[in-house]
Amino acid sequence: MKKILALILCLAMVFALAACGEKPAAETKGEENGAAAGSVYWLNFKPESDEVLQKVAELYTSKTGVPVKVVTAASGTYSQTLTSEMDKSSAPTLFVVGTQAGVKDWADYALDLTGTPIAQELNTDAYNLYDENGKLVSIGYCYECYGIIVNPDLLEKAGHSLDEIKNFETLKAVAEDIHARAEELGFDAFSSSDMDPSSSWRFTGHMANLEYFYEERDAGGWTECPATLTGAYMDNFKNLYDLCINNSLTDPKDLATGGHDAENEFKTGKAVFFVNGSWEYGAVSEAVPNATMIPYYCGVEGEEKAGLNCGTENCWAINGKASEADQKATMDFLVWCVTDPEASRMLVDSFGVMPYTHAAESTNGFLAAANEYSNNGCYVMDWATNYQPNVDDYRAALVSALNAYNADQSAENWATVVTAFVDGWATQYQNANG
Amino acid sequence: MNNKSTLSAERRNKTILSVVLTVICVIYVLPVLTVVLNSFKLNTYVKTDTFALPKGEMWAGFDNFIKGMTFGNYPFWKSVVYSVVITLLSTALILLFTSMAAWYIARVNSIACKAIYFLCVFSMVVPFQMVMFTLSKTADALRLNTPWTIPIVYLGFGAGLAIFMFVGFVKSIPLEIEEAAAIDGCGPLRTYFSVVFPMLKPTMISVGILEIMWVWNDYLLPVLVLDINEYRTIPIHIQYLKGSYGTVDLGATMALILLSIIPVIVFYLSCQKHIIKGVASGAVKG
Amino acid sequence: MNKQSPLRRFWKTPLRRWAWLFLGPVTAAFAIGFVWPFLQGIWLSFCKFKLIKDAKFVGFSNYAKALTDPSFMHSFWYTALFALVSLVLINVLAFAVALALTQGIRGSNLFRTVFFMPNLIGGIVLGYIWSMIFDGILSRYGTSILMETKYGFWGLIILMCWQQIGYMMIIYIAGLQAVPGDMLEAAKIDGANKWQTLFRVTIPNVMPSITICTFLGLTNGFKLFDQNLALTAGQPFLIQADGSSIKTTEMLALNIYNTFYTSNSASQGTAQAKAVLFFILVAGLGLAQLAFTRKREVQQ
Repeated sequence: MKKILALILCLAMVFALAACGEKPAAETKGEENGAAAGSVYWLNFKPESDEVLQKVAELYTSKTGVPVKVVTAASGTYSQTLTSEMDKSSAPTLFVVGTQAGVKDWADYALDLTGTPIAQELNTDAYNLYDENGKLVSIGYCYECYGIIVNPDLLEKAGHSLDEIKNFETLKAVAEDIHARAEELGFDAFSSSDMDPSSSWRFTGHMANLEYFYEERDAGGWTECPATLTGAYMDNFKNLYDLCINNSLTDPKDLATGGHDAENEFKTGKAVFFVNGSWEYGAVSEAVPNATMIPYYCGVEGEEKAGLNCGTENCWAINGKASEADQKATMDFLVWCVTDPEASRMLVDSFGVMPYTHAAESTNGFLAAANEYSNNGCYVMDWATNYQPNVDDYRAALVSALNAYNADQSAENWATVVTAFVDGWATQYQNANG
Repeated sequence: MNNKSTLSAERRNKTILSVVLTVICVIYVLPVLTVVLNSFKLNTYVKTDTFALPKGEMWAGFDNFIKGMTFGNYPFWKSVVYSVVITLLSTALILLFTSMAAWYIARVNSIACKAIYFLCVFSMVVPFQMVMFTLSKTADALRLNTPWTIPIVYLGFGAGLAIFMFVGFVKSIPLEIEEAAAIDGCGPLRTYFSVVFPMLKPTMISVGILEIMWVWNDYLLPVLVLDINEYRTIPIHIQYLKGSYGTVDLGATMALILLSIIPVIVFYLSCQKHIIKGVASGAVKG
Repeated sequence: MNKQSPLRRFWKTPLRRWAWLFLGPVTAAFAIGFVWPFLQGIWLSFCKFKLIKDAKFVGFSNYAKALTDPSFMHSFWYTALFALVSLVLINVLAFAVALALTQGIRGSNLFRTVFFMPNLIGGIVLGYIWSMIFDGILSRYGTSILMETKYGFWGLIILMCWQQIGYMMIIYIAGLQAVPGDMLEAAKIDGANKWQTLFRVTIPNVMPSITICTFLGLTNGFKLFDQNLALTAGQPFLIQADGSSIKTTEMLALNIYNTFYTSNSASQGTAQAKAVLFFILVAGLGLAQLAFTRKREVQQ
């Protein structure tokens, strides 16, 4: 019943458009797409951008009559949802392959995007993913950055300034000073680092990146998922992690089941630091207009030259097994997303930066900070995290180990974290490739 | 004298028993009471002051309920509607078709009937995990992934117990009544609907209650079969609140949990007798 | 009596003509909802596949993988232990409550109503209710139910007791009400004390109920999924030296689910093999119950 209703609505809209008489070229083009009878089904993996994508989809449908369905998997269940959706009769025509593990799993099902209209719109190759045969499996549609979000006003209130923080030592001094005086100041250093599924990825996915990144840099860059890690920078991960849990609003023992609203703590001025990424800019900048972002300082030599963690897991792949009409409809939709001023504005506002020639400019303050670091000659910490050989299981084990460590910060418990982090990688790699 | 003391001892024992049971009773109600308390509490206090009354700065009024309505990017009323639709449709389908099949099986009793009956009994011991993967694929291929079509899956997977119970009951009905109807010139259809169907009422109620309880609370089957991005039942909605979309609002979650158990409790209190009887008969046979 | 009258045979013929209507819908749905998925499941347990369309036959290697998977074996023993402990606790308590409620105390009906109520609340919702309660208690001691296997274990036991005692109690009450009053009377006259009456008269007479509840408790314990998922979802993990992890509070059904849907997509065949093994286990329990009940019926 609903489908019929939707269909009637779509038809009505197409007719309404047709009745408009003379139209600019772009719209006419859109209408031809509508006639191609294909449809788009986008399986999105980022819950926080669901709302905007639904609006973009609606906009596209209202302009062209091509049905666009956007479906968002719950956090931590993307690969599971993708696996089951791809087996369905109406499989996604557009899905996200954002990691090397994903490329390994899904390359066979993805269309080779080399030389396609959407690839021609790109202004960089930096965020594209290729399989071992050089097939362009997926192309980045935006990039983001993450690091430590800072509230400079509070920092000043506490008698410190952003310029003080140059490396781990200085960050530590500031954080510990604020934490020590938390009661008197009325705010604390770090917001809570909950380990429940809605928040744990900030650590198991993002903060963990500092370890992967420096290891990758030592190896001269990874091109595919390494079979093993050395764990050489685990101590640096520990530095920052310890600082974060021990100088925060919440007792580390109380993090396992979550229930603290870190974003809200930051927005209401209860905490100076908030570990998160550029996608938070919209939510945070309303309350803290001059919020900015600093790199993960963790005690690595030369980190005064560190920049933010820039990269993406947001890479479009088109289902090569979808019908030709659907593939075409999907391709047209993508090109429209990165060229249409209104759509790309909406997407850019939600995603950060879109690396396409005709896309809208970014207004994201955190990404501006990222650029500033780069312009000042700092190195970008790219997202080595994307090489994680298995996302859900590997991170879940890491969460469990970190929970134990949060409750009792013993050397033994840290050793378990290292095992989950380093040996867990090797095991997952074996499972995926063995 | 001996008699008297045993009598008073008995009375004392009964009083002690009453007190003990009352205490257990209170303990039994406490978890539900905690849900009620916390559904009126601000998110941040649910964790720190779980058992406190929601007063002063903890009091959130009905905000949690209002927030809960759209919480998790999915309107709650939709899951209520889907849960109701799925439960009612499935139960109706199961009652109608399995009772018909059971009557046929019990009366005709051919080899095919025996085979179907045996398969049904067999399906009762098969855990859902055995078929969950393939069932969800089959259901999807056949477009049984909407609230209006998933009852067919429930009819298929839930037929076992219902047929078992109906066949057992039909066998206890004397044939003479149906024969009288046949002699009066009733065809099988009329015989079934005007004679047999009314007689099945007690078992209908038992089976109906069991199926309602099963379908209403079921999580795994609908989560795997339904197109969950469009259709979420209440259990799916509640499970998804925890795992997704940024920060979990415990207060709103509790408000939704409260809203979802109120109809269950009302249903239970209004047909308690049937429910307890249905459950007992289902257990004895199953 | 076993010979059917000619009338009866005559009457059956028109009924057979309606077979399509009476049997058709159930058979079709049953084929879709059970028979086909079941057969396909058995076939897939011998295959390697990511999507069903590309299944490749690989013999017993899935079973070998399943049986050598430490997390599967752990979940088996954990489930067995859980089923046993919950079985004993739930049955003893349910029996005690049922006994108390058949003593003719005032308010028995009210008590019965309250004790049965949790049964109607679904597993997922129950899980969240209790996870909030345990959290509220344990966070005062700086820990949580996700931190220790034993908390998860006993937490689930408490949850299951809360949910299941009412159910078993109903069955026991039915059994107790069927105990012949004159037998109890006779025992009293013979000077048997309460305990003697309980063990010599009451319990032997409710043996059928005990059998039912025992098997019901066992299969419930083995098949438990929703509550397990909602309460701990397998946390905490035991990280092994090789970096693999065992989800210490993960029961069999959840282990199978996780193997299907969250670990590597290459392991779906293994997951299906686990599911077949699980089916054999649960079906075995069912058959044992059948055999046991039959034997008892013959003896009586």
